[in-house]
Amino acid sequence: MAGASETEEEIVMLLTTSVGSMPKPAYLEEARKQHRRGELNATQLHALEEQATREWIKIQEDLGIDILVDGEQYRGDMAAYFAEHFSGFHANTELVRSYGNRYYRKPIIVGKITRAKPITVGWWNFAQRLTDRPVKGMLTGPYTIMDWSFNEYYPSRRAAALALAKVIHDEAKDLELAGAQYIQIDEPAISVRPSEMDLAIEALGVVTKGLKAKTLTHICYGDFKAIGPKLSKLPVDHIDLEFANRNFELLEVFRGKRFSKEIGLGVVDVHSHRLESKDEVVANLRKALKVFRPEQIYVDPDCGLKTRTPEQAIEKLRVCVEAARAVREELLVAV
Amino acid sequence: MITTVVGNYPKVADGAYSSKLRSARDRWERNELTDAQLKAVEDEVTRAVIAEQEQAGVDVLTDGQIRWDDLLRPLATHIDGFAIQQRLERWFDNNVLFRRPILKRKPSWPGPRFVNEYRFASHCTKKPVKAVLPGPYTFATWCEDQYFASKSKLTLALAEMLNQEAKALAQAGASLIQFDEPSIGFGKTDARLAVEGLRRATQGVSATTAVYTYFGAVNGWLPALMRAPVDIIGIDVVSDPKALSALKRAKITKALAIGCLDARNTKLESVKELHAIFRAVAPLVPSDQLYINPNCGLEFLPHTQALAKIRRLVEAVHAFRG
Repeated sequence: MAGASETEEEIVMLLTTSVGSMPKPAYLEEARKQHRRGELNATQLHALEEQATREWIKIQEDLGIDILVDGEQYRGDMAAYFAEHFSGFHANTELVRSYGNRYYRKPIIVGKITRAKPITVGWWNFAQRLTDRPVKGMLTGPYTIMDWSFNEYYPSRRAAALALAKVIHDEAKDLELAGAQYIQIDEPAISVRPSEMDLAIEALGVVTKGLKAKTLTHICYGDFKAIGPKLSKLPVDHIDLEFANRNFELLEVFRGKRFSKEIGLGVVDVHSHRLESKDEVVANLRKALKVFRPEQIYVDPDCGLKTRTPEQAIEKLRVCVEAARAVREELLVAV
Repeated sequence: MITTVVGNYPKVADGAYSSKLRSARDRWERNELTDAQLKAVEDEVTRAVIAEQEQAGVDVLTDGQIRWDDLLRPLATHIDGFAIQQRLERWFDNNVLFRRPILKRKPSWPGPRFVNEYRFASHCTKKPVKAVLPGPYTFATWCEDQYFASKSKLTLALAEMLNQEAKALAQAGASLIQFDEPSIGFGKTDARLAVEGLRRATQGVSATTAVYTYFGAVNGWLPALMRAPVDIIGIDVVSDPKALSALKRAKITKALAIGCLDARNTKLESVKELHAIFRAVAPLVPSDQLYINPNCGLEFLPHTQALAKIRRLVEAVHAFRG
């Protein structure tokens, strides 16, 4: 199954992809711990991150996924990763609680946010050289980094978000220059305060302005009833949402409306150990086809897979690919 | 002017009282630690956060709610009839998550939940420790109700149970019992129901009672709150900058607790900024009827910034009192 067959490559519908993060293999988890304890240097850790990236690219190719990701083996938290690389953020932050016994280091904005050099381009280049298929450039959006940081410097949430938007735009430009055909700007926080949807739209507009690459955003765990009407105003070509964990109820937000963007359809729940069956996903894709056109739909998991084990992640992705293929074939027969 | 905190406090502190609780909970979840061993660590951290508040000069302390997952969970798992939802949801408009309690059956009260914990906390210090409970309206707002299918019935049922808890806490020596009602003013509020919930929750409680609202906007709810049979009304003037002018316009018939430090952002307020707020609220009530505190619990902050905030609070109040 190395690569899709020629006929499949010609058919641009129900393309498969994933949202971004992949689980880290046990050896990398261990290496990250050793690195934190000072037992492993940065070069050694980097080599293992490259190894894990290579493995994930190969896995995605073998599964037959159309649009690949680098798997973010070198990232911890999606907002903190960028905060650590931009200037203007406090270097050493302490833990704050997220829920239960989960803690994270929440970034603190203490000065003007600037970007000394590209952050993700090196990893994108590394991953893209490993495959002929397109690898998405993966960024975290300005609204989300703002919402997930403390702000001691900018006079308002808007000012902080727009400052972030400017540097993330530069990063997106650099990804495009390097050759990225798809640039994903994740905005999971966009649904936290529906009253700020206009700010999120404004900031994302700064990021995507003038980009020729296809732009995407991923949003999850939100009050879609509240933000739904404004989804189509988000200045991206493609919006990726979680459908599986809500039993495809989200389809109702789009039913009967002419949604002109592409839609990323999360078809497997990333927070459940249960492996969805191919038939189940096929049935859900058929439901989605009553609302969206086949060439509009991309098939992927609900969210990043980093919380699953590598085995679970692979099986979830396999179901996505097999279900998408089965439905593609049905559609071809119908034509 | 009396300094106090709202409720929770950072549970781990890299540089101070350690991250021991985090690893203890981790091991407890994996069954590598007994309940008693976990409790010993919780006791230790509780003692440390009480000592820290005391040393910072806070007048009325809390136990830091070190044993609490969130405002609802300790009681939701205690009251018979509730289950806890697996899925995580956002806690108001914060980037903090919680699991929603689901009421499956008629709720029943197995007896007081916090009395022993309160006794422990109050023995850690000579200063007064206030007891904090969820308010019945907020509790009901954040539950999924599969039994009553009626917010008012659920609110009032919870209020009766909270009333028993409050009475038991008062008997155990709590001189101040605070009900947290962040749902008042956050989104659509049924003020009549919220006040009736508070009336039942506080009935016959032989302690000073407080209701703390935070996150939302109280403009519009102030007259209703002034009718609530509680002694102290807590207002967050940070999340809603209009709250201050609403207070100035309102007829104040209760003691006030002013949430004037932003416990959701690390930026440290200056004494000058705080004094501007004090000058606005000081004329509204006698000074022994004025509590000064952060706008909500301190647990959204890293420990260093949380401690800096309460030190600044005390410093500003001392300087203002002269």
